[in-house]
Amino acid sequence: MLAPVSWLKDYVDINVTPEELAARLVAIGFEVEGIEYQAKKASLVKTCRIVSVEKHPAADRLRVAQVDIGGSTIQVVTNVPVEGGELTAVALDGAKLADGTVIKKGALRGVTSEGMLCGAEEIGFSAADIEGQTEGDILRFPEGTPLGIDAAVALGLDDVVLDVSVTANRPDCNSIYKLAKEIAVALGTECREPEIGYETAGADVREAVSVEVKNPALCPRYMAACVRDVKIFPSPVRMRRRLRAVGIRPINNIVDITNYVLIEIGQPMHAFDLRYLSGGKIVVRNAEEGEHIVTLDGKDNTMNSSMLAICDAEKPVAVAGIMGGEFSGIQPDTSTIIFESAKFARDSVRRTSRALNLRSDSSARFEKGIDLASQEYGLRRALTLVYETGSGVIGEGVIDVSAAQAKVRDIEFTTAKIGRILGCTVPKKKLIDILFKLGIPVEEKGGKLVAHVPDARSDIEGVNDIAEEFIRVYGYSHVKPTLFAHSGLTRGGVPEDIAFRNRVKEELAALGLNECITYSFTSPTFAEKLRIPADSPLRNWVELVNPLGEALSVMRTVLTHSMLEVLAYNAAHFNRSAALFEIAKTYHPKSLPLTELPEEREKLVIGMYGADADYFALKGVLEGLFAALHVKAGYSRSALPFLHPGRGADITVNGKMIGCLGEIHPDVAEEYGADVRLYAAELDLDALAPECGGTVQFAEFSKYPPVERDLAVVVAEDIPAGELVKAVESAGAAHLSCAEVFDVYRGAQVGEGMKSVAMNFAFASVERTLTDDEIAAEMALILAALETAFGAKIRA
Amino acid sequence: MKAQIDSIKQAALAAIEAASSTQELSEVRVRYLGKSGEMTSLMKGLGALSKEERPEAGKILNIARTEIESALESKFAQAEEREKQARLAAEAVDVTLPGKRPARGTLHPITQVREDIVRVFLGMGFEVAEGPEIESDLYNFQLLNVPKDHPARDMQDTFYVNDSYVLRTHTSPMQARMMTTRKPPIRVVIPGRVYRSDDDASHSPIFHQIEGLAVDKYITMGDLEGCLTAFAQQMFSKDTEIRLRPSYFPFTEPSVEVDVTCAICGGKGCRVCKGTGWVEILGAGIVNPAVLDMCGIDSKEYSGFAFGLGLERIAMIKYGIPNIKLFYENDVRFLRQFNGEVER
Repeated sequence: MLAPVSWLKDYVDINVTPEELAARLVAIGFEVEGIEYQAKKASLVKTCRIVSVEKHPAADRLRVAQVDIGGSTIQVVTNVPVEGGELTAVALDGAKLADGTVIKKGALRGVTSEGMLCGAEEIGFSAADIEGQTEGDILRFPEGTPLGIDAAVALGLDDVVLDVSVTANRPDCNSIYKLAKEIAVALGTECREPEIGYETAGADVREAVSVEVKNPALCPRYMAACVRDVKIFPSPVRMRRRLRAVGIRPINNIVDITNYVLIEIGQPMHAFDLRYLSGGKIVVRNAEEGEHIVTLDGKDNTMNSSMLAICDAEKPVAVAGIMGGEFSGIQPDTSTIIFESAKFARDSVRRTSRALNLRSDSSARFEKGIDLASQEYGLRRALTLVYETGSGVIGEGVIDVSAAQAKVRDIEFTTAKIGRILGCTVPKKKLIDILFKLGIPVEEKGGKLVAHVPDARSDIEGVNDIAEEFIRVYGYSHVKPTLFAHSGLTRGGVPEDIAFRNRVKEELAALGLNECITYSFTSPTFAEKLRIPADSPLRNWVELVNPLGEALSVMRTVLTHSMLEVLAYNAAHFNRSAALFEIAKTYHPKSLPLTELPEEREKLVIGMYGADADYFALKGVLEGLFAALHVKAGYSRSALPFLHPGRGADITVNGKMIGCLGEIHPDVAEEYGADVRLYAAELDLDALAPECGGTVQFAEFSKYPPVERDLAVVVAEDIPAGELVKAVESAGAAHLSCAEVFDVYRGAQVGEGMKSVAMNFAFASVERTLTDDEIAAEMALILAALETAFGAKIRA
Repeated sequence: MKAQIDSIKQAALAAIEAASSTQELSEVRVRYLGKSGEMTSLMKGLGALSKEERPEAGKILNIARTEIESALESKFAQAEEREKQARLAAEAVDVTLPGKRPARGTLHPITQVREDIVRVFLGMGFEVAEGPEIESDLYNFQLLNVPKDHPARDMQDTFYVNDSYVLRTHTSPMQARMMTTRKPPIRVVIPGRVYRSDDDASHSPIFHQIEGLAVDKYITMGDLEGCLTAFAQQMFSKDTEIRLRPSYFPFTEPSVEVDVTCAICGGKGCRVCKGTGWVEILGAGIVNPAVLDMCGIDSKEYSGFAFGLGLERIAMIKYGIPNIKLFYENDVRFLRQFNGEVER
């Protein structure tokens, strides 16, 4: 909240700089987000008198003025039609205006000008906000204003305004008075009470109006008072200045008084024109379903039966705690008003305000919560201001319909318990003293302490709150760091799934990939872009009710989409190549609408493009990863529609499908705006993890030179090379240590529809050098296996 | 015979002297000492001499041959050394040309910071846990002392799935999940993605937090301060100090904001700390007894502390990253920097 220091000073003596005050507030738990010096929005703009004016020799529209700035006279060239004798403001050489402009001495059409005459805007204010000033005109000061002083100071605009952030547990401090109380504690001084004092005359308020509260749960207290013979006029300068300083536009004395009390005491008030309270009745009741009210802002609201309305004998005249109806406000001819000072339940105000999309300063306060004492305080303060400003005749009495009594809560505690929470020694006298100053008297009862907590401090519920009240004033510097001074050792650690993920990340980084992180929500169009079939479970997604936009509205069920976006982004941003990965969750609802937590699966996506990227580069990364994880993967041609029809593979591990890889279908890549070939793989890590072996087991290797043999066989074109290797490995060649494909040849020599696959085998024994006969026998086994399985023939 | 030997020897020594390469020296060797070399021919001619002459001539011949061999050997060694030097000189490379190296990948700075922080807490006996990102209102709010329609809900802009489910706004719901399923002592850190419907220059709708929770029979604010001091000193520098400021969170009481001395200026005041010398890094506090009780832990017997910090903020401070948006653009020129490489 905005707190002008001058206003705070009504209640507490402040003898420190605003910066020091801010530091003290921070230390007791109120962050100060800004300090505004009203008079420092501009510099070197001084009051002056125009002594004489001459025409500019070279320009008809300019005048040359001699300006008295208090003790000396300067010459100013201006286009303002000054006559001489005016008391105004001038920006001197070197002055900085509110918009940042620096004024320099110079010549205008050959005549020296040592400054510039200024209006309200130049010093950072709007003329409309300052008494006696006209928009577009230079500032005008009354006779008797000293010359050469700061213009803002001369206008009384020299307040310092603190922007204090009040935490949600301290709604009471959203008021000048309560904030002043906290400041008094922080500064070690006393706080004064707001002045209450007025005379009443004429009939009792009960003769003007009756109040009935039908739902005391939503309106625990409703107070009303009556003011007759109301005179409507602009409120006093000081009141208007203060309201403007906190961002409220002054309207008239009555409205200003309600706003002033709202800011000063924290009690929202409303003033009804009695003429529009039909039947002289105020009925606080739930609205009827579908009941309408047009509010002050001109909005037609349809209420429902859970909303609280302030009604007269016939109709709603206000949405309780939020806004008055269009006719309930103060008119120029208003003669009798009824002040409302009530407490409405904060959650009811909150719900209604959100449902109707209707907000006001009042509703903001009610939502934060107000205590039961401030209705009376606020009402009497408002009447005092009516009395002081001569705004009308205050009727006898007040109406007070109260369902709840302000309760003092007792909290029993010991200094030892406080010390156990804070981990520091707690001097009893200091503790009692601090709490007392905070308005919480403490009593000693048989070795125990009892704090009497007033209703206004609804945030204080137990000993921990007492500890906080104490330490925030006593100072956290009294708490000394310890490392589990009173606890035993615990065994920390990383669970297997997290350790597995970390390992995958490290392996992928070691394989040259950069990790990226993308948003978990995306556009529902991803399914179309990736050509996900209409009946696919991947189209069951969790949708947000209040997304930042359609493009960020559904929780993703695949990661490839985000990866393709990132690849396209990089390609479009001058990056010739990229090799990236991301490990993140995908979200799969078990039922829709959501009635239980969805399944969140951990997925890995890899993406690449650039000169070195192709299907085999991508597959190489996966092979590297699988090798590191000690798993063997199988690859078979994939039918996934977002992959290139000839360059995509499904990946299985131990017969379980765990993902896919391949070149992205060129049409899909184009959808993503990429003009390069894209490659991507997506794996289900939750499915992969259980397949990954444990610790490596050492295998003996041969000390003897291995024997190598090459073999080229001719097989049908559609037989994958990987299948040949598999057959070789299971052919029963006991000493085969390695089998690799090193060449595939197609051509006239091998015939139409056929290909020659050349393989290299290594044989070794851990016991001895193998003989030629032994190897020939094993080669025969291999060839036989290939012949049987694929009709392979040795290439001629 | 002697004269002939002398003459050939002189010729051989002259040829050796004249030769400048190992190649030429090899040729000299063949010419004089080879199978059909001149000295070898003389040796073969010995047989034609008389029995009396033969020993004397043989002796002279052997001495001459040894002389030639020794001259050859020493000249050969010199030539070989010279040629090696020349070859090495010719092989010189421009050592300032770039090296060949395999591409090196990087972990995202958020991951690096996350692991740095986790490591600190593992050392203090904390375990690591994670929780669901789509969370129930019960765990995200209610069990953390934020009932429906409570003003504290305004502290966080929430993405809703429906009335009962939200995208978690913080990692704190895992506090409740740990406390409802485990018995103290509990010491756990919970990293993860969190969501708030806030998207402007300094906010990202997705960001990362690490939650910390310790519950035991006698946990104090001093323990919290000690733990966070250890963390800050390992994370930033051993001279780092921390400062606790009173604040408010519904699920801790007392609550504090924790500032660290600015890592950039060391506390003297700079642009990063806005001249204050302190940088706010996290919120923390003593677990609100109401939360302990709601989660089934007897607040009369147990107490705890909790803290939550934003990883982006720590990474921005640590690496001097000026804008939170950079984390999620995933431009490789950004990502590649985090193994120490800077592209210019």
